[in-house]
Amino acid sequence: MVFPKVPDQHKPGRPLIPNGLGVLFVLTTTVYLFSIYFSNKVFNLGLDTSANGVSAALTLAVCILFGGFMGLLDDFMDLKWRYKAFMPLIAALPLMYYALELSKLGIIRTSISLPLVGTLDFGQTYIFIIIPLIVMIVTNAVNMLGGLNGLETVCPAIVILGLMAFSPSYILMVGPLMFWLTLAYFNVRGKIFVGNAGSFAIGITIASFAVISDLKVNLLISILPFIFNSSIILLAIFFTRKRAKVTFDGEKLCADGRKSLVTIIAYHRPLTERRIVQIIAAIVALFTLIAALIQLLS
Amino acid sequence: MGEGIKERLKGLSVFSRLRIQVSHGSIIAFAALVVILFVAFTVRIIPLRWENLSGGTSLLNEFDPYYQFSITQHMVQNGLLSPYWPTHWVNMMKWYPAGLDMSTSLPALPMTAAALYQFVSLFGAKIDLMTFCAIVPAFIAVISCTILYLIGKDMGGKAVGLLSALFLALAPSFLQRSSLGFFDTEVPGVLGLVLFIFLFLRSLDSKRSLRASLLYSLGSAAALAYFIAGWGAAYYLIDLSVLFVFVLVLLKRYTPRMLVNYSLTFGLALFIGTKVPYVSLGYSVSGAILPVAAVFVVLIVSEILRNNISMKTKLSLVIAGLVVIVGGISILALTDKLGGVTGKFVTVLDPFIRAASPLVNSVAEQRIAAWGNIYIEFGIGILFFLMGLYFVMRNPTNRNIFLILFAATALYFAASMIRLLVLFAPVFAIIAAIGIIGILKPFFTLLQEAPKTLAKSKRRMARVSKEYSGVAVFIIFMILVTNLAFSPQTGGMPRAIEQAYIPTAISASSLPLGGSGLNAPVGAWLDAVGWMKTNVQSTNAVVMWWDYGNWLSDLGNVTSLADNTTENATQIANVGFIFMGNETQSMQMLSAYGQNHVKYIAVFTVLKITQQSSTTYTASPAGYGDEGKWVWMARISGQDEPRLLQEGFMTPSTAWTNENTFGSTNAQTNAWVWNDQGLNCTVFELMNQAEVQYCNTISTGQSFTITPDQTTTVPTYFQVAHIAGVDAAPNAYGNLIPLVAIYSINWAQYDADHGITPPSS
Repeated sequence: MVFPKVPDQHKPGRPLIPNGLGVLFVLTTTVYLFSIYFSNKVFNLGLDTSANGVSAALTLAVCILFGGFMGLLDDFMDLKWRYKAFMPLIAALPLMYYALELSKLGIIRTSISLPLVGTLDFGQTYIFIIIPLIVMIVTNAVNMLGGLNGLETVCPAIVILGLMAFSPSYILMVGPLMFWLTLAYFNVRGKIFVGNAGSFAIGITIASFAVISDLKVNLLISILPFIFNSSIILLAIFFTRKRAKVTFDGEKLCADGRKSLVTIIAYHRPLTERRIVQIIAAIVALFTLIAALIQLLS
Repeated sequence: MGEGIKERLKGLSVFSRLRIQVSHGSIIAFAALVVILFVAFTVRIIPLRWENLSGGTSLLNEFDPYYQFSITQHMVQNGLLSPYWPTHWVNMMKWYPAGLDMSTSLPALPMTAAALYQFVSLFGAKIDLMTFCAIVPAFIAVISCTILYLIGKDMGGKAVGLLSALFLALAPSFLQRSSLGFFDTEVPGVLGLVLFIFLFLRSLDSKRSLRASLLYSLGSAAALAYFIAGWGAAYYLIDLSVLFVFVLVLLKRYTPRMLVNYSLTFGLALFIGTKVPYVSLGYSVSGAILPVAAVFVVLIVSEILRNNISMKTKLSLVIAGLVVIVGGISILALTDKLGGVTGKFVTVLDPFIRAASPLVNSVAEQRIAAWGNIYIEFGIGILFFLMGLYFVMRNPTNRNIFLILFAATALYFAASMIRLLVLFAPVFAIIAAIGIIGILKPFFTLLQEAPKTLAKSKRRMARVSKEYSGVAVFIIFMILVTNLAFSPQTGGMPRAIEQAYIPTAISASSLPLGGSGLNAPVGAWLDAVGWMKTNVQSTNAVVMWWDYGNWLSDLGNVTSLADNTTENATQIANVGFIFMGNETQSMQMLSAYGQNHVKYIAVFTVLKITQQSSTTYTASPAGYGDEGKWVWMARISGQDEPRLLQEGFMTPSTAWTNENTFGSTNAQTNAWVWNDQGLNCTVFELMNQAEVQYCNTISTGQSFTITPDQTTTVPTYFQVAHIAGVDAAPNAYGNLIPLVAIYSINWAQYDADHGITPPSS
């Protein structure tokens, strides 16, 4: 038995499903990014972008490895939230250094232009404060939107597609996205779970790729549904000390409160698992589209 | 007959008992350690590639090592104590005209090297002394890594020991300061540091016999004495150990053995240390060493309090102890016997003091470490360090308490001064190793056990397989690979190789060049010192900025006015004034130093060649030579503005306190723009003339032309004697051209123009 099995709570008979396949994403992505790095070194194909010699492919690989490592620790030790919340800050270090070198070349923009708000220039604090915050928030927000077959794989894939559309370094994500979509295909059908190793890794991937591609606004808008979900989960825990819960009647899911995006959708309105995933994926796709439009217009 | 043979063979079985019993684990650990040490050594001698391999000689790295070398050479030629006894050796080729008292140096490194050299020479080995000194740091680094293995082994087993040794071997800060030619105080310093920690912690180990404990105390005393005699940072180690013992007392972990070991270690170490030339008895009453005595009193009080005595007596003893400590310090302070901690160490404790001292702040390695320096040093390995810290704090044994204190204090000092990252490297190595092994342990355990149920919820694993644990181990391995082998911050190059694969500073002519692309040494400086050696008398002084003083005296065999010892701040300010003043002011100051000996003035400038069209190029200052350092010349001489005005060298109309008198930065291009005073200062004129001469020389007879970015007045009294590097092709070193321009001083014309009677020679 290569992968451990866990019961699928939202299927009749709660069949055992192999979990933790996200580590395969970590491994294949690492191999892919290393291949990009080496092929670029040997054949000078221009696949890997670098800032003052700091490799983007390797920076991304380190971050994803770290995400996978964190997820594995969570799977094995059930990390406390205070550790999970702040551990991604360490993964931000390679990105901060990469951004620092980009800023020396005058390539990275330390400002963010937001509709209705205008341009906010963070200066050096963009590197030291905003990047760590991006990594910390995005990683945890992506990790918190899950629990239904396909939800934790499809939604991040949509965000990555949106980022790739505008990224000059899109080649870095072609392989990882294809593999992630393969995992998503089986995940949607209830054949596999990606586990925390997968959800943390994909969260850090999104944050890192956005920073490397300098697509802050794009990320900020497309990730809004994730942040909304995390916010109401945290607020509910803070004020009511209760977590969102859904019940399964053998066919449909129903929620008794509105303490997460899933439970808001399923509140007093029983829906199938797949239907809920489709609705949330559509919301994420909508925000990704808005982000793309703003990017195009700016 | 057959029985007899059998009996005899049985008798031989006694030899089988002599066979060494070694487990497979020990063999693997030993083999791994040998590989780590081999890597540690070979990585450090990579710069040999750019040295004189056919002649079997090597130069030293940077500048300070030449100072250490000159003492070593003196010891080899005149005896180990010769710089100190019977009379102090004053090296008249440094700090003209007063010379440099070489007895004001720590003897551990030169004595170690001189003794080893003489030992090797006993076997008939004929090695060039400078080459020997160049390789010594790599050897000592290997010994330091071996000792760190032993410390790690004591802390958490062989695996921790091996990883600790590996991390230290490849730590960029330690690698840089122990690679080929880095013959400086950090070399015996780190050796003394790790050796002392190893022996001191073993001496406090209650599981060892009293005899072993006493022997370890004696050993730790010797290591500490060696450290005191080797590196100024001994204050740090002494105070760290004292703090550690004090914390143990506060945690009620006092044992009588602690008092015995402490007394023996520090008593003996300070006894030997204060006998070291230059350290002297005053060392023991300096502010940083007094805590040793204070904690000794605390230990004595703790020992007495152990006995069954009344509370009243206990209270009296505690008060008496406090009175002794406070009273003793007060008496020393009131009688002016209390030695202060010298300036450099105070500036480490309070790095903001350095900002007010341009002389200290002008040295790059003494600047405050930015987070980027720490990230380049440790990479994503910081993750394992934090995890290790967690494991260490969860299990606060005596050893782990030492590690916590060591890590916290060393990190502070490393953050205060880039150079002190080397202090943090050993403790980082141990704690990161503990972190890795701590994380891997459960996975290894799972790999060895049958699968078992861990949790029930959907998000967590219900069953964990061996293969899954294997994947976890592999991911940790990959993180280590990206940290040590394909580091993103170095463009995929191992950080260790990036640090090591660069020539010695003089073989690179102080340019940031190296790697596989550089096939031969950059010749400018080698040519310059070679020319001086041949054409300039050793008693003649060559005026140059203090960075290059040791190269002039120890390689060029000429007399210098200032060097890295920064012995005389006034003289450094004067040299700064010579370069920043106009030619007349410079000549006045040079004349004050004596026309008979001060014969040459030299600058080091690096040009950046930029292509303008297919046949035209422009030369401009690159910033790696005096064209970058002149700012410090202005600031350091500017600090002495009142004195220079009073002595009549500066005039109020052209006086300066910093670089802003000489120009300003263009807000659009961010480039420095010289004003009239800047264009006429000596350093600019000298650099510019070298630039113009290079452009003319290299363009002659070629299909391309190189033009200087600007020109200025040609100096009257400084005449080109030799410009080293003037024949380098524009693309020889990327787009950088290093030039060492040596000018002879035309005293005859100066005297004639100013109606001065030339001094008799």
